[in-house]
Amino acid sequence: MKGYVEKLVIGFSWFSMMTLLFAVASIIGYLCLKGYSSLDVRLIFGDTSALDALLLRKQVFNGLFPAMAGTLVLVVMSVVWAIPVGIATGIYLAEYANARIKGVFNLFFDVLAGIPSIVIGLFGFALAVFLHKHFSRTIQPCLLLSSVALAFLVLPYLIRTTQMALEGLPESTRFGALALGATKLQNIYYVLLPKSLSGIMSGVILAIGRCAEDTAVIMLTGVVASAGVPRSLLSSYEALPFYIYYISSQYTGPEELLTGYAASIILLIICIVLFSAAFLIKKRLTYIAFYRT
Amino acid sequence: MNSIKETIVERALLLSTIVSGAVTLIIFGFMFFMALPLLREGNIFQILTGEWSPGGGSYGILPMIVSTLAISCLSVAISFPVSIGCSGFIGVLGPRRLGRSLRRIVQVMTGIPTVIYGFVGIFLLVPIVRELGGGGSGMSVITAALMLSVLISPTMILFFNDSFERVPAPYLDATDGLGASAVQKLVYVIIPNAKKGIIIGLILAFGRAMGDTLVALMIAGNSAQVPGSIFDSTRTLTAHIALVIAADYESLEFKSIFACGMVLYLFASAIVIGIRYFAFRERGVE
Amino acid sequence: MNTTQTGNIKIRVTNLTFSYKGRRILDGINENFEEFAVTAIIGPSGVGKSTFLMTLNRLWENIPEAQMSGKVEIRFNGGLRDIYERSFSSSRLRKLVGTVFQKPNPLPMSIFRNVAFPLKLSGEKDKGLIAQKVEGALRKAYLWDEVKDRLAQSALALSGGQQQRLCIARSLILEPEVLLLDEPTSSLDEKAAEVIEDLILHLKERITILAVSHYLDQVKRIADRVVQVDLWQVRK
Repeated sequence: MKGYVEKLVIGFSWFSMMTLLFAVASIIGYLCLKGYSSLDVRLIFGDTSALDALLLRKQVFNGLFPAMAGTLVLVVMSVVWAIPVGIATGIYLAEYANARIKGVFNLFFDVLAGIPSIVIGLFGFALAVFLHKHFSRTIQPCLLLSSVALAFLVLPYLIRTTQMALEGLPESTRFGALALGATKLQNIYYVLLPKSLSGIMSGVILAIGRCAEDTAVIMLTGVVASAGVPRSLLSSYEALPFYIYYISSQYTGPEELLTGYAASIILLIICIVLFSAAFLIKKRLTYIAFYRT
Repeated sequence: MNSIKETIVERALLLSTIVSGAVTLIIFGFMFFMALPLLREGNIFQILTGEWSPGGGSYGILPMIVSTLAISCLSVAISFPVSIGCSGFIGVLGPRRLGRSLRRIVQVMTGIPTVIYGFVGIFLLVPIVRELGGGGSGMSVITAALMLSVLISPTMILFFNDSFERVPAPYLDATDGLGASAVQKLVYVIIPNAKKGIIIGLILAFGRAMGDTLVALMIAGNSAQVPGSIFDSTRTLTAHIALVIAADYESLEFKSIFACGMVLYLFASAIVIGIRYFAFRERGVE
Repeated sequence: MNTTQTGNIKIRVTNLTFSYKGRRILDGINENFEEFAVTAIIGPSGVGKSTFLMTLNRLWENIPEAQMSGKVEIRFNGGLRDIYERSFSSSRLRKLVGTVFQKPNPLPMSIFRNVAFPLKLSGEKDKGLIAQKVEGALRKAYLWDEVKDRLAQSALALSGGQQQRLCIARSLILEPEVLLLDEPTSSLDEKAAEVIEDLILHLKERITILAVSHYLDQVKRIADRVVQVDLWQVRK
């Protein structure tokens, strides 16, 4: 290979690196530059005192508190639905299913993981319409519906990380307890699950992050611009990412827009912390999260 | 006693698996049955190839299909060279510590919510494109594609990098032993051996771009027309669903978004099958 | 190939065939193993020595794409029993047929809990009995004096030889009738290996032992009988 071609290739890789860093720095830098000045307690609680708001004694009208509370409740509920089903499915596929069943379900979950989130949102919406028409007039898009739809969205992540973590265990680990007379279930419970905990945890954190950042699913299944702190599972609610979307198109003045920047910074920090944590816990997560090896 | 417990647990796990699997099918089922009235009245062909003008009674989703493909392809085309350059940098070309830091940063990037790309896009990128694109609102195919290319680059870079790392160490040792330079090692050994991984990464990134809603919804302009140039305003399938949802439940307009949902579902399935095809071949080679 | 045996037959293998991913590894093996003897199983690597052991404790059933045919009988309570009989659960079998692997595989818990682990699996709750059995097993494995003052410490802190004896103790706590050793000293230094060899000779008074080994001199020291898997013939 000629010398100048080599230099060109190396130069290109430096150029790529700088292009990417420039893009990321612009996005994050721009947000911080515009938004940092309005980051304070007033931004979250408005004119209400923090204690009153947290104890739900007074409503917050001009702060992010209802949206943050909505996101928190939403994430917790979605994960509560998704974790038991996802992990149980992962265990079944890794430890019990035979090759044919595994093949079929792996395909199903690959497809489920690939379905755009708006389609899952649309499904949630259609489900609400269906139930509204055929069962009860009181059913409408709501917090409960959103959490179920989000659970569908993150289910494949949980299944995959659990399955991969278990399947990745070496034979020596697998056989140790079996040779001592452990039953299949005992082996899973005492040895295999504890050993694959870090992989499973990274999937859980990833799922939490996806629930926190998703906008497309919830905008079709019950999120609204103003609803106050969520009080019922069957009513609509506010959420941080939707608030950002809403502000971007409906802001009435520069001050309201500023809260959009600040909300973006808060959401960004939450999600980056969650995703970094998942990556720290489990190296090579990309392969696991996006595709099985 | 013990074996009863074992059986109960196994059944419970199987039940979870069936429930999870059923979700995949039920989602498609819903799309299909909700779109059915439309598929009956206007024929499928007309919906897939027609124009979108609800006023004129035409509910074709062709403009949305075209713009989805255009934006996704464009964003992959922009992102691919930069991503492969970055992977090369992380893998062999860049200084070790710098490469590792870059990888960390790319991992952190996977955590940036898509609504934030859209938000920054509106206020930072749209004005720039408006200036450069000569008139118009600045919300266009290229605006969305540029922002999406940033969004999908971590997927590509991390995926490429992982497949670089899976090139067997003896190959690399042999190349080093023959006195090859870092560039030669990358171009002659690593990339050819990681080719399947690179293709899978590309397809995955395409899927990410295609499935994203918020970026296109916020900065592509949302005109339901086939874009004539990259500076035209346009509307993707995902954005279309988000925009039409408010319509009357009984209207054909509302039903048409389920056709969009079906098309997206089928695209997603095709992507999965494509990836599996390559992944299977990769395993066959090893 | 059957040969005349003097003692009681403990294990009888009839027409055993084993294949993995469609490749035949063991082909029509007929073999008897005597009670209270050490039988060394030797042969070049890759001919199925470890696989053969796995057909005796049914561990191979956990390997996808593995297949076995033939009959394996082991004498429990006086009569030969088919270990693949439906009513005979694999976990019950493995409590009677202990296995020690090539690489020591203590679990990430304390020394005491490692040895007590099989009892926990069997649902034993009596703490006094557990402590008593743990001590007994550690003594049998020549490990008690070395670890009695640090039973609560992690087993992973032990040396390789100690870890391997811990694994033997863990197998012994269930009082197995057969012990399968898969190259038990190959990851240890000479001194640690000697202790284990000594231990094996001591154990055979109560237990039937099958040991896969690579080292011919070791085989000479411990084995009453040698089986060479690649030829599958018996040399006295």
